[in-house]
Amino acid sequence: MGNCLKRSTTDDISLLRGSDSVRESSSDQLGQPYQEPIPAEDVSPVYYPSPSVSRSVVQLTEEEQVKIAKRIGLIQNLPIGTYDGCKKERECVICMVEFLVGDTVRCLPCMHTYHMKCIDGWLMRSLTCPSCLEPVDAALLTSYETT
Amino acid sequence: MANIAAQRIKREFKEVIKSEEVAKCAIKLELVNDSFTELKGEIAGPPDTPYEGGNFVLEIKVPETYPFNPPKVRFVTKIWHPNISSVTGAICLDILKDQWAAAMTLRTVLLSLQALLSAAEPDDPQDAVVAKQYKENLEMFESTARHWTNIYAGGPDLNKDFNDKIRKLVEMGVEEHQARVALSSYNWDLERATEQLFS
Ligand SMILES: [Zn+2]
Ligand SMILES: [Zn+2]
Repeated sequence: MGNCLKRSTTDDISLLRGSDSVRESSSDQLGQPYQEPIPAEDVSPVYYPSPSVSRSVVQLTEEEQVKIAKRIGLIQNLPIGTYDGCKKERECVICMVEFLVGDTVRCLPCMHTYHMKCIDGWLMRSLTCPSCLEPVDAALLTSYETT
Repeated sequence: MANIAAQRIKREFKEVIKSEEVAKCAIKLELVNDSFTELKGEIAGPPDTPYEGGNFVLEIKVPETYPFNPPKVRFVTKIWHPNISSVTGAICLDILKDQWAAAMTLRTVLLSLQALLSAAEPDDPQDAVVAKQYKENLEMFESTARHWTNIYAGGPDLNKDFNDKIRKLVEMGVEEHQARVALSSYNWDLERATEQLFS
């Protein structure tokens, strides 16, 4: 099994800009503009080119960097909402905590809803819904075609 | 341990101990430490399988990144099964590797392992020797698995013939488990097992 490596526990998602420079985002908001590039030996975010493969940024191949950049782009396109208490789902199955009115949630194309922080951590590893396993990217592509 | 992992395990633990499978004694879950990083699982061997009547103990280690990554599970009870290593107890099961999803729980894992005992997948083996026997001589595989269940998991079926052969090797100075492994691997052919052990 390839998942015995030590992983970073941070929920921050760093963005990749281009294929040669990699920088750390200053907050956990997607799409945040960048400040100073941080040297790789100080911060070493861990990425998951596939669910059981974890690599620090310096170990990523160019192909994997492109894959991750695309993935971040897809995640950014998924709608974000605020939990208003009238959704069918009452708890986030990732953290198993009940939604509170005002929580920031992300709704996948299959209509399953999760805390944004929880689902983004999962989508960085696998672009499928953790509940129904529907591929998130395929659904997104179809929804682009029909609109 | 990351907060989300410990919080999930706490909730899952409560859920499992209330479940109907626990009520039926089909699965069991216990905490090993207070930090919710290690648990002990137990599954009952499914009916109509060579594992029937046995209880199989599992070591469950929860990674810091749980539930984004699957728990690490291994059989502590020795078992003869194509998808489980007869040496280390390591398991080959897709949901414990690349088919894991964050909505799965320890209960799902225990029930999937129980299902694996009912339906082996010899084409995706963890233990090549066991898988070969399963494919070439299913009857031999079943008697061997039943014998291991009897010895290590408290199963009811005692195999006098197998026990006699093991005793012969033990009298020759071979350690009992080592004798059992050699005989199991050579389809209980005492001569070939002896040859392998003393070569
Ligand atoms: Zn959540
Ligand atoms: Zn879904």
